[in-house]
Amino acid sequence: MLALDLLIQGLVQGSIYALIALGLTLVYGLLRILHVAHAALFTLGGYLGVLVTNATGSFLLAILVAMVTVGVTGMAVYRFAYRPLLGRSPLVALIASIGLFIASEELFRIVFGAYGLSYVDPPLQQRVQLFGDISLSVARIMVVVLAVVLLTVLGWLSVATRTGVAWRASVSDPPIAQAFGIDIERVRYLNFFVGSALAGAAGVMVALLNNLVEPTMGAVPSYKALAIIVLGGLGSVRGTLVAALSLGIIEAFGTIYIGNYLDRDAIAFAFLIVVLMIRPHGLLARG
Amino acid sequence: MFKKLAIALGIASLAAVGTVSADSIKIGFNAPLTGFAAADGNSALKGAELAVQQVNSAGGIHGQMLELVVYDDQASPKEAAPLAVKLITKDEVVAGISGSYSGSTRAAATIFQESATPYISAYAVHPDITRAGPFVFRTSFVGDVQGRAGAKLIGEVLGKKRVALITLNNDFGKSLAAGFKEKAAAFGIEITGEYDYGIKDREFGPIVSKVKSDAPDAIYASGYFFTAGPLVSQIRAAGIEVPIIGQEGYDGQKFIEIAGPASEGVLITTSLNRDSTDATTRAFIDGFQAATGNAADMVAASAHTAVLVMSEALKKAGGTDKDALRQAIAETSLTAATGNISFNALGEVQKDVQVQVVRDGSWHFHSIISDAVLLAPPAE
Repeated sequence: MLALDLLIQGLVQGSIYALIALGLTLVYGLLRILHVAHAALFTLGGYLGVLVTNATGSFLLAILVAMVTVGVTGMAVYRFAYRPLLGRSPLVALIASIGLFIASEELFRIVFGAYGLSYVDPPLQQRVQLFGDISLSVARIMVVVLAVVLLTVLGWLSVATRTGVAWRASVSDPPIAQAFGIDIERVRYLNFFVGSALAGAAGVMVALLNNLVEPTMGAVPSYKALAIIVLGGLGSVRGTLVAALSLGIIEAFGTIYIGNYLDRDAIAFAFLIVVLMIRPHGLLARG
Repeated sequence: MFKKLAIALGIASLAAVGTVSADSIKIGFNAPLTGFAAADGNSALKGAELAVQQVNSAGGIHGQMLELVVYDDQASPKEAAPLAVKLITKDEVVAGISGSYSGSTRAAATIFQESATPYISAYAVHPDITRAGPFVFRTSFVGDVQGRAGAKLIGEVLGKKRVALITLNNDFGKSLAAGFKEKAAAFGIEITGEYDYGIKDREFGPIVSKVKSDAPDAIYASGYFFTAGPLVSQIRAAGIEVPIIGQEGYDGQKFIEIAGPASEGVLITTSLNRDSTDATTRAFIDGFQAATGNAADMVAASAHTAVLVMSEALKKAGGTDKDALRQAIAETSLTAATGNISFNALGEVQKDVQVQVVRDGSWHFHSIISDAVLLAPPAE
């Protein structure tokens, strides 16, 4: 029973990782940039979720506002931070990204205060009995539902629409896609919008689970999402999803059974190292 | 004689720094004003500033005003060490106070000790801080002492015998757990399981599931408000109803804001009694509320206490001779916001532990643990 409970907790955490890491892997696929500042967009989503919910009382509105605003902010990050650096080594963009991330943490602190913010009346706190004595708050169930819905819709769009096909082509091979007449610039903006909006949604949900957003809440995702996309085989969407869920589950069991020797981050990176030793190109890589 | 010396020193420092009036006595203050611990650092600073203002408006130190020289150490040893050097050599402070965490405080304490300048740690918990030497003091409990108090609170006062430990895996959490485990058996406590977490964790789903399956009578969980708030709300959200016992890291209104209704009934061992009728404590609690608009918390109270200890010692030493000041601090006997302060041979404070409980959305008096033997701080 405990094992099942831990598995569910792992899936909840894995869903959050999936929402965050997907945008990162898409950016890597398109631009070969390690987009560390992605975690700042996740934090922005958390703040917007709390602020809009507290101001209007509507959590649904908060998710929508957060996704759209964070999506647009993501496009602005591309336009003003990465686009001017595209001709240079990816390291230049990486350093810009790290700088942007650090600056954003301090900006959140200056604007919203060092103590962080909480939902005044946190929504979705009811408990649902699942099986036996396992019960989960609606908020936790919502995390998984939201991840499944958003990723399914996205998956469907990417196969069923022209834009989606163009997008997939651009992520897997930008020069060839461009040669086929795809407007790669448009794809890049779309890519930043979608990836950032997903991170924004993750921020809102994490803020709800912890009932706390703080300037540094992006710190862990900033590097753990990088580990996930490496695990998934850089740039692979399916690999990233598998890696995110596996990591969530490994951490859930690891926290309980080896947590007194290795902390959660150490467990995650030990897993990363083991996987890379066996499969140097990531979990789903062929050969 | 001393006054002339002080004035001469003042002029010398004026020449060196060029910004500070000859009338003030400068005390260094390092705290994390940015970074992950910025909330505590800023609160500590406000507590210290309030104390300075209260001392100065009551006439200062024999007519000389106190002045804080404040630096941001980001709770990082590599920031704190050079700042300590700067405070001592460039700012020429007569003494220093740490409003910071253990890592940075340890780093600074060594440097203050080396230059024979008194240093008081307001709320850092690591046992080695005062072991830097005789110039270093601490006005708060070491973690072990509070851990022992927690064992007595749970085993004897509450009468709960099966306890789950959820431990923050830094010096604070580990020393609390060590103190708790040291005395657990003495109070008939059986530990059902101990689970560690990291300071960056806010998501405790797996630990909560495991604790639920262990079915303890009480949970002893170490942490700061930013970890304890999410932890307590997740424990209650999972339907675990047993008492949760924390420590001074929870202490503050922010914990209650984060945990919301789940915070009701949570008990902590700490050093600030909100319901105190003592004049100094009330002056701090009411003064802090008036000055900042926020409810007082443990770190602010601790920094306030440290400044008061320093100012009393400065008055008694009658000047800014560092050896005389050190001696005066060692002989402190003072009632401050965090209790009756006196030091043992190592410079560790000896005082009672306050137990506070959340009731109707704020901290209130629950009980007091007064046991000089159990709560004896390390003496060497």
